[in-house]
Amino acid sequence: MNSLRRLGQFVIDSVEGLGRATLFFLEVLSGSRKLIRRFELVVQQVFSVGVLTLLIILVAGLFVGMVLGLQGYNTLIKFGAADSLGLLVALSLVRELGPVVTALLFAGRAGSALTAEIGLMKATEQLAGMEMMAVNPIERVIAPRLVAGIIAMPLLAALFSAIGVLGGQLIGVGLLGVDSGVFWSQMQSGVSFHEDILNGVIKSMVFGVVVSWIAVFQGYESVPTSEGVSRATNRTVVYSSLAVLALDFIMTALMFK
Amino acid sequence: MSDTQTEPGAGEALVEIRNVHFARGNRTILNDLSLTIGRGKVTAIMGGSGCGKTTLLNLIGGRLRPVSGRVLVDGLSVPDLNTRDLFELRKRMGMLFQSGALLTDLDVFENVAFPIREHKHLPEPILRNVVLMKLEAVGLRGARDLMPSELSGGMARRVALARTISLEPMMVMYDEPFTGLDPISKGVIAKLIRELNTGLGITSILVSHDVADACAISDYAYLIGNGRIIGQGTPREMQQSAVEEVRQFMEGLPDGPVPYRYPAPDYLDDLLQGDNA
Repeated sequence: MNSLRRLGQFVIDSVEGLGRATLFFLEVLSGSRKLIRRFELVVQQVFSVGVLTLLIILVAGLFVGMVLGLQGYNTLIKFGAADSLGLLVALSLVRELGPVVTALLFAGRAGSALTAEIGLMKATEQLAGMEMMAVNPIERVIAPRLVAGIIAMPLLAALFSAIGVLGGQLIGVGLLGVDSGVFWSQMQSGVSFHEDILNGVIKSMVFGVVVSWIAVFQGYESVPTSEGVSRATNRTVVYSSLAVLALDFIMTALMFK
Repeated sequence: MSDTQTEPGAGEALVEIRNVHFARGNRTILNDLSLTIGRGKVTAIMGGSGCGKTTLLNLIGGRLRPVSGRVLVDGLSVPDLNTRDLFELRKRMGMLFQSGALLTDLDVFENVAFPIREHKHLPEPILRNVVLMKLEAVGLRGARDLMPSELSGGMARRVALARTISLEPMMVMYDEPFTGLDPISKGVIAKLIRELNTGLGITSILVSHDVADACAISDYAYLIGNGRIIGQGTPREMQQSAVEEVRQFMEGLPDGPVPYRYPAPDYLDDLLQGDNA
C-alpha cells in the first residue's frame, strides 16, 4: 500500500514538475521578445555557452570521425565496399552522431554551467536583488541564456559533423588508402540535403531547445543552498541526456523511413 | 530620535500593514500583524531569528503575498498591483540584502550603474557622474574597478547600498545590515543609514536582531515575536519596557518567555529509558 502511495506521489510530482516547467518555458519565451532590442545580451551568452564549448566539440568531433573511419573501413572492406566509406562517415555524423553527441557534450559542458550559474545567482540573492530593482530576472538573466543555447546548439552540431568528416577522411584516405575522389564523390551523391542534412539540423535544434530549457529551469528552480545547486546541476545533465536519447529515437523513427 | 514621539504615525505613514496573516504550508509566520512606518523616519523591526522579519520586507516589496490583510505602500495596495505597477513602485523603493546581492560578473562601477542602465537612458558621461556620486556617498569612489569578489563584507554592503540608492528611492529596506560586520564597518553602515535618512529624506526600514546598533539609529522600533508585535515604542521606551518578552529580547536574557530549552520529555525519564533499551 505504501509503495503504491509513493508511486502515486511520484507520478503527481512528475506531472506537476512538467507543468511548472512548461509555464516557465512560456514565461521565458514571452520575456525573450524584449531581447530583440537588446541583442547584445544574447551575444554575450552565445559566447559563454557556444564559443567556450567549441574546443570540446571540435576535439570530440575529430575523434568520433576518426573512429568511424577506422571501424567503417574494417567492416566495409569485408564486403569490398570500402569506396563507400565517405558516405558512411557522413551519414552517421549528419543524421545521428553530430546532433546527439553534440547535445550530450553540450548538456555536460554548457547546460551544467548554466544551471550552476543561475542556481548560485539565486542562492546569493542576485535574482531577488534584481526583482527588487524592478528588473525581471526572467527577461534579463534567463531569456538570453535560453535563446543563446538554442542558437548555439545547431551551430556546434554542424561544426561537430564537419570536423568529424575531416577526421574520417584523415583516417580513410590518409591512413587506409581509400581514394580521395571516391571518398568525396560517394559522399556528395549519397547524402541528400532534405533527407539527411535538414533532418539532422532539425534534430540539433530540438536538442538545443530541450537541453537549454532543462538547464535554465533546473537552475531557476534549484534549492538555494550549495547542496541544492549541486543536485540541480546533476539533474540537468541526467535529464537532458535522457531526453536527448529518447527524443532522438522518436525523431529518427519519424524522419527516416 | 525624539523622546516625545510616542505614535509612529506622528507625521505621515508611508507603509501601513494591517492585520496581515502569512503562512508557509501549515506554519504560521505572521499572525494578524499591524504596523506603521512613518515617512522620513528610521524604523527598526527587531525580533529573533526566524520570526518573520525578512518575510515582512518581502511582503512590503511585493515578492510575497499575504494570506489576508492589507499592505499599503505610499497609498498603493501592494498585493493588488499588477506586474507593471509593482515594478514601477519598486523603482521607488530599494532593498539592501544581507549578502549585498551584488552581481558577481560586473565590477563595482557596473553594479551601481546596473539599475540606471536598466531603467533610464542616460548618456554615458552623465551616467558616469551619477555612479561616481553614489559611490562617493558611501566612500568607495576609489574602488570602482574592483570586482565583488575583491571586496570585504563591509565594502560589499556599502557598494550594494550605493546601488540601492542609485535610482533615488523614497524608501530603503535594510535586511540585517549589521550582521557579520566588524565594529568599524558596522559603525560605517549605521552612519550611512542615518545620513541617507536625514540628507536625502529616505524613509528607512531596518530589520535587525542587533538591539544596540538598531536602537542607536532608529526613531521608532517594533519587536516581533511569534508572528505578532510584542512591543513597540521609541528605542528608549523599548529599553525601559516592563513587558517581560520585550525585556528578555532587549537585554538578551537566555531564559524567559522564550524558553532556553527546546521542549523535551522529563530529563530523568529520558536518561532511564536508555537503561531499559
